[in-house]
Amino acid sequence: MKAIIAATVLGVILMFAGLFVKEKKSVASLAVFLLFVLLGVNIWDLVTTAPNETLSFFNNMLRVDRYALWFNTLMTGCTLLYALLVSKEIQRVGSHVAEYFALICFILCGVYMLSTYNNVLILFIGIEILSIPQYILAGSDKRNLKSSEASLKYFLMGAFSTGILLMGITLLYGATGTFNIIQYTFLQSDMLSPMALAGILFLMVAFAFKVSAAPMHMWTPDVYDGAPTPFTAFMATIVKASAFVAFMRLFSVSFGAISSDWMMVLAIITAATLFVGNITAVFQQSVKRMLAYSSIAQAGFMLFAVLAVNATAWQGMMIYAVAYSVATIGMFAVLMKMKDYTYDGFNGLAKKDPMLAAFTTVFLLSLAGIPLTGGFMAKYFVLLAAVEQGKMMWLVIFALFMAAVSAYYYFRVIMAMYFKQGNAELNTEVSATDRFLLAITVLLVIVLGAAPNLILNI
Amino acid sequence: MNFLLLAANQQTPFSYLPVAIQLLVGIGFVVLTIGASQFLGPKRSTADKLINFESGIPSVGNARQPMAIKYFLVAILFVLFDVEVIFFYPYAVNFKELGQEGFWAVIMFVAFFLSGFIYIVKKGALDWED
Amino acid sequence: MPVQYYLFLSLALFCIGMMGAMMRRNAIIVFMCIELMLNAVNLLMVAFSKMYNDAAAQIFVFFIMVVAAAEVAVGLAIIVMMYRKVHSVDINILNRLKH
Repeated sequence: MKAIIAATVLGVILMFAGLFVKEKKSVASLAVFLLFVLLGVNIWDLVTTAPNETLSFFNNMLRVDRYALWFNTLMTGCTLLYALLVSKEIQRVGSHVAEYFALICFILCGVYMLSTYNNVLILFIGIEILSIPQYILAGSDKRNLKSSEASLKYFLMGAFSTGILLMGITLLYGATGTFNIIQYTFLQSDMLSPMALAGILFLMVAFAFKVSAAPMHMWTPDVYDGAPTPFTAFMATIVKASAFVAFMRLFSVSFGAISSDWMMVLAIITAATLFVGNITAVFQQSVKRMLAYSSIAQAGFMLFAVLAVNATAWQGMMIYAVAYSVATIGMFAVLMKMKDYTYDGFNGLAKKDPMLAAFTTVFLLSLAGIPLTGGFMAKYFVLLAAVEQGKMMWLVIFALFMAAVSAYYYFRVIMAMYFKQGNAELNTEVSATDRFLLAITVLLVIVLGAAPNLILNI
Repeated sequence: MNFLLLAANQQTPFSYLPVAIQLLVGIGFVVLTIGASQFLGPKRSTADKLINFESGIPSVGNARQPMAIKYFLVAILFVLFDVEVIFFYPYAVNFKELGQEGFWAVIMFVAFFLSGFIYIVKKGALDWED
Repeated sequence: MPVQYYLFLSLALFCIGMMGAMMRRNAIIVFMCIELMLNAVNLLMVAFSKMYNDAAAQIFVFFIMVVAAAEVAVGLAIIVMMYRKVHSVDINILNRLKH
């Protein structure tokens, strides 16, 4: 598992680079270079593993399959794209640029652990490696009170959900006597002890916290709104997608056989997530806050992949993770260029900067799930998985209805840009490099929509 | 020496003999050194020496004063480094069984540890002078 | 002693911690309650470890302790940062974020 080691070492290197290199710009370039290296290591891992081959590492603590490696590679690619797009904004957050990138490297280490864990110990450590740097990143804008508040809130909620996760793990251990997730597959419906059921429920609640599913979503809008925008973009995309893969790995692989016991609870959580995310997003005035609620709504769709427990669901998860990450990173990159984060701040952007407005439109269409964009294919695959499974048709219909609602608030931004009079002010000049990178992001969104098999046939 | 090893292998009260010897040696050493310093050292009672000793700082005012952020930082770092040592316990118990591989794993752990320590020293987290 | 006693004790501790975390308004106390939850888990882990005669759970407890220490370091730093800004560790002020 070279990628985990590489991510850790590169993180440490970046940390020390911050001590010796004072120039912010060169630190950022070094970070981007090291992320390239990390992507290379991931690809190396990928090509040296034969298809259908499953490797075990560290006394069977990690079980690495092709899917996990491909997911890691794609997430690292998304992180690289993210770093390229927002490295200028990260330099503006504060003076500790090297540390910010080092923390991002450590988060990636957590991502790799979460996609390959075979033991709940690694799941726990992975979730913590994923979360603790985020608490720091959320509070990294020390001049801003909102950022500190977001950090404290995120920290308290995160620590609380960690306690619940651990209680779930312990109860499950008490019922089965093992931490190995493969051995949990021997759990059977007709002989489930109350302790095992309680453990599964605790785990579900803890994961719902981490992926911000409905009754446990209260922290999300405040944290995403308060945290510095570049880090919100990271938290809402790559981190959330990998928490979902961890969720799915546990519930599809380990508890797949007893899905009838937990499915109804998760279905209700899904319905509530879709409802709360979409309906509340409609009433927001700030685009950043709207994106926070929209991330809750998108989490509702990703929950379908966990619910469906079949092969299509895994494919759906992969394409959803990538399509959602790319579009959201693009949207946040545009948002960071704006001076005013409210809808009115976008008024008349199409006249002022037609290119930027066109890019934004593509990202928003993808998030809304309009055909020919990645978002459509993502929604199509996860809902297809749920239809194939066939037990949750009412939920699929509800989700389609909610997708229609979501179009309203995404299109509101497009309306503001094209049909409203106003003078959208930009925070910074959009350089040619930015335009180029945004164009690549748009291209990725469209390619994902036109040919999703590119990332599904691996 | 052999009878000690023999004693340790038996499941009798007698097998605690090495522990008792260790205890006696420990207590004896402490008593000896403290007694010797008391006995050999010069004794001069001055006014300065008779007041309460508070880390060399003159004792004034209430103890509940706001602390400098420095103390806090050092305390946090101490907790962090202190708790990490916990991993040496399982290693110490399985020292022989883990062999070479375990040794290198622990060296790697200590190396990461040390790089963290070097980082905070270089960053100036432990500087007392401003 | 039967393992049920440990189960009930640690579940009671866990619930006390959980209620405290949800009801108290002082960030430090909320944080202490969360630590109580983690320690309830530790106790239960060790009890189960004894029950199954399996050392894996004890190693898990070590990891929980270490991660909790890392969390303490980050968490206290965040609370201090907050305190220096608003001179209070009351959680109610967090509701300002909603507007």
